[in-house]
Amino acid sequence: MIGLILDALIVISLVGLALQAINAASLFRAILHFVVLGLAMSLAWARLDAPDLAMAEAAIGAGVTGALMMIAYRRLVELKPEGEPARTTQRSKLALPIAVASGLLVGMIGLAASLTEHRPGLAGLAVLETMDATGLGNPITGVLLIFRGFDTLLEITVLLAALLGAQAVTQRPDPDPSLTTQDPTTPLVGALLAIVVPLTVLVSVHLLKAGSSDTGGAFQAGAVLAASGVLLILTGRVEASDRPVVLLNLGLVAGLVSFILLGLAPLLQGGTLLALPGIGAIYFLESAMTLSIALTLVLLFAGATGLKRGRHG
Amino acid sequence: MDSSTLYVLAAAVLFGVGVYGLIVSAHLMRKLFAVNIMGSAIFLLLVATAGPVAGHPDPVPQALVLTGIVIAVSATAFGLALMVRLGQETGRATLGIQDEPENDD
Repeated sequence: MIGLILDALIVISLVGLALQAINAASLFRAILHFVVLGLAMSLAWARLDAPDLAMAEAAIGAGVTGALMMIAYRRLVELKPEGEPARTTQRSKLALPIAVASGLLVGMIGLAASLTEHRPGLAGLAVLETMDATGLGNPITGVLLIFRGFDTLLEITVLLAALLGAQAVTQRPDPDPSLTTQDPTTPLVGALLAIVVPLTVLVSVHLLKAGSSDTGGAFQAGAVLAASGVLLILTGRVEASDRPVVLLNLGLVAGLVSFILLGLAPLLQGGTLLALPGIGAIYFLESAMTLSIALTLVLLFAGATGLKRGRHG
Repeated sequence: MDSSTLYVLAAAVLFGVGVYGLIVSAHLMRKLFAVNIMGSAIFLLLVATAGPVAGHPDPVPQALVLTGIVIAVSATAFGLALMVRLGQETGRATLGIQDEPENDD
């Protein structure tokens, strides 16, 4: 009973926050509601027995997306310092009926799926039965890297493609006024960084290691690591630069390249494509992916092709 | 009513809210919120309708949604970059179909 009340509260806040994110009078307020919506989603995942998703949503869905939206908002404000115009809506008589109809459609599909006699998913059953042989304790990591490795390979490709696309359309002023805080030299900032950055790295490595047996994984670890990069940029310790850095670019493609190489390696011995050879290969791959994901997210935030040591570094 | 039905209903409402926001919002960032809300609704639906498998939560839909969350943030980041560039080029962050001058006369 208590659980149902909790679920009802989460559902009410999800809907309320979504309405606010769509409807809030100012864009900045809408961003804040959207970020909190991500956190409420993460509570919903926790209630739905999906701790990996809860962590990914909090780190990626709420954290990274929120940071990206706020920096984009700030860039728009820099373009037009007089402030945003009042909220404009496109009047449409069909908007409400279409919205209700599509909501009903999704509801019908969902109810049909959940109210009919439940049959356990065969793929899930197969995964749980063969997990023991893989040496991994977390079935989700198993699905991501062993059973549906091709999906994950394409996923990391999409992430890289999004970065290349964003770099292709970005015109960044140099120095970028959006990326600097007002006074990054106050002593408190240094003390804060000295505590927060090592802790973030520690949490990220823990998530990476835990991903094989427990909740965690490369994507969560990468997002947490990216958070410390964003912090270093905002405090002027690291600066965006338009000169590509070889080491950085190697880090960006490390995940994709090692995935492809490790995926091709079994073919040499007559095995199947993407059948990763052993637990060591999985650890190596996850570490490379964490590094690439973190660097990609940081560069997406900075809107730059490279990074350099900052003036306050 | 059990919790998974509750989350299915939430997914339906969230999807409707997302579609509505996508249609009526003029600002591109609000349209991005709307698309993300629609995506989250579908993720919620996928996980809420997946029943337990041999006493455990089904790992396959969860892994699919984890992939989906990362793809959603990639697409959002690219969309935001496009929006900022549009703002730099035109001074607006809307598609601006609605404020084109009318050519009727």
